[in-house]
Amino acid sequence: MIEIQENIVQCDVLIVGGGIAGLMAAISAADAGSKVCIAEKADSRRSGSGATGNDHFICYIPEVHQTSVDEFVKEMKAGICGDRCDTSLQYKFAKRSFEVVKDWEKWGIKMRPHGEYEFNGHAMPEHMRIMLKYDGTNQKKVLTNEAKKRGVKIINKSPVTEFLTDNSGKVIGAIALDISKETPSIRLFQTKAIITATGIGMRLYPSSTPGWIGNLNNCPAGTATGRVAGYKIGATLVNVDYLWTHAGPKYMERCGKATWIGVLKGPDKKPVGPFVTKPTKELGDITGDIWQAVFDEKRANGTGPVYMDCTETDQEDLDYMMWGLVCEGDTSLIEAMDKQGIDLHKDMVEFGRYNPCLQGKGLQVDMNMATDVPGLYSAGDESGNFNAGIGGAATTGRFAGENAAEYVKNIDDFVDVINCKEIKEAQAFYSSLMEHEDGATWKELNLSIQQIMDDYTNTNKIRSETILKAGMTYLEHLETAAKQSICCSNSHELMRALESFDLLTMGKLVIISALERKESRGVHRRSDYTFTNPLMNDKFITIKKVDGQPKAGMRKMF
Amino acid sequence: MPPIIKKEKCIACNTCAQVCGMDVFGPITPGQKPKVRYPEECWHCRACVMDCPVNAIEMRYPLPMMLLHTESSKKDRNEG
Repeated sequence: MIEIQENIVQCDVLIVGGGIAGLMAAISAADAGSKVCIAEKADSRRSGSGATGNDHFICYIPEVHQTSVDEFVKEMKAGICGDRCDTSLQYKFAKRSFEVVKDWEKWGIKMRPHGEYEFNGHAMPEHMRIMLKYDGTNQKKVLTNEAKKRGVKIINKSPVTEFLTDNSGKVIGAIALDISKETPSIRLFQTKAIITATGIGMRLYPSSTPGWIGNLNNCPAGTATGRVAGYKIGATLVNVDYLWTHAGPKYMERCGKATWIGVLKGPDKKPVGPFVTKPTKELGDITGDIWQAVFDEKRANGTGPVYMDCTETDQEDLDYMMWGLVCEGDTSLIEAMDKQGIDLHKDMVEFGRYNPCLQGKGLQVDMNMATDVPGLYSAGDESGNFNAGIGGAATTGRFAGENAAEYVKNIDDFVDVINCKEIKEAQAFYSSLMEHEDGATWKELNLSIQQIMDDYTNTNKIRSETILKAGMTYLEHLETAAKQSICCSNSHELMRALESFDLLTMGKLVIISALERKESRGVHRRSDYTFTNPLMNDKFITIKKVDGQPKAGMRKMF
Repeated sequence: MPPIIKKEKCIACNTCAQVCGMDVFGPITPGQKPKVRYPEECWHCRACVMDCPVNAIEMRYPLPMMLLHTESSKKDRNEG
């Protein structure tokens, strides 16, 4: 049997995932007087989708924008992150985003790399620009240092797998793996509150390269664990019917499409979108944000492919773009182009749409980033009713930290976790995976999930009740087979296997949510409900565990 | 095989194995050089290259991730 470590880690607030949101949550909870631990799957200095940088931070600076917060939120709603968000949270975010930017600058992240606040990227002609251009190359190290300065205990190589509640349903702890050694062990946490911030939710759909797990445009270690663990203890998920897709260079999924300063063109060298003919650093081509299906559509009707053409970009702007790719953490893209002899003065790079992920789809939160489970908070890309990319992660992390710290002040004592039945169940299940012989690998499980999700639920295909239900049946068959056969030989494989089981559960929740949206809307296209129902314009699909079973519903946008 | 450790340069500090977000390297054994164990899990963030104190890591970009490109001829553009 897998060993359960005797020493139970105790803290007021446990942060699950040391990404941008998790670190910001840790910093603000510690500032508010809480004893804080971060359980991080990898190493918080380089983990998550912000690992080596970002370059666009949505931020409202009244003196720069010279406009009202209403106008700013309106622009957010029209942009890449604005759909499927509660307006009330967008306002709260907008009003406090600048204070986070100022703190980041004070701590040593270059928010004004050229002296002034610069806004560009992901912008439409004649519209307000809401993306602050910054240099995020050192962001994870800076935030890790700030957390440590405040006494936050960071436990790396420790992926959390389950959350624990007491009989009243409030959060009391968590189960994690310790993967720092070849042989895994179980680490237990005793806590008064959890802030889960496990990132975007990747690996539910295939990468651009068949059979290749890691070729993804966001961190592939984010596998919806916080969403699934939250769901299991009673938290509501929202908007998981409505997946997010991104686009970027084929076949290397590194994205940064708003960092590129060029025009998306067809083979006839004509722009495919209406937004820009002469690209500048102030205004690149936003077509890929607004009309993400352009790549699939033009491939399907034979008028593609679609290329990013930077050949008419001025040298100064091209230099700015290459600098931006470094800020974004896309140095591998620069290096790959260099090694492959690609010269953007004369070459166009084909762009494509990547498969869906769960960015901004997941745990439902209130204005304090609290879920409907007492003591469980969620922040960053994992929250389902708010998304604002990196700025959103930073700012909602701060909200979650502040509010969790307030919550724990009213919780008198820790509750013993050692007798929770979930611990024994987890130990037995994890041990069985380590003890199986000659069975399937975690990768087989993950790829099986991906092929079912791709064929029966993907956004580039038609959904219907019969097709979605068939996908559900196949996932259930897969679950039964996988539980009996997956075998792991070390901590790494056990971590990946448990991630894959989370993805399997997540896939089922996506299907049940998609069945509930009885209309076609954007990326959700159904052959049995082909119209877009205006009555559902401001309605979000929710899903929650009731009497042990997933129950989907609908609620109004706030 | 995205990251490649140049064994002759590696000083066995295990920084790459510690910081890798995908746990591509391992095992972490003090004083021993880590191996690239799970290359297909690499997402090309390049943190290992940036953080290696002795520049012992290089990236090799796998063939399936080759960037698709074509020349944009100025002549065609003017005519088009």
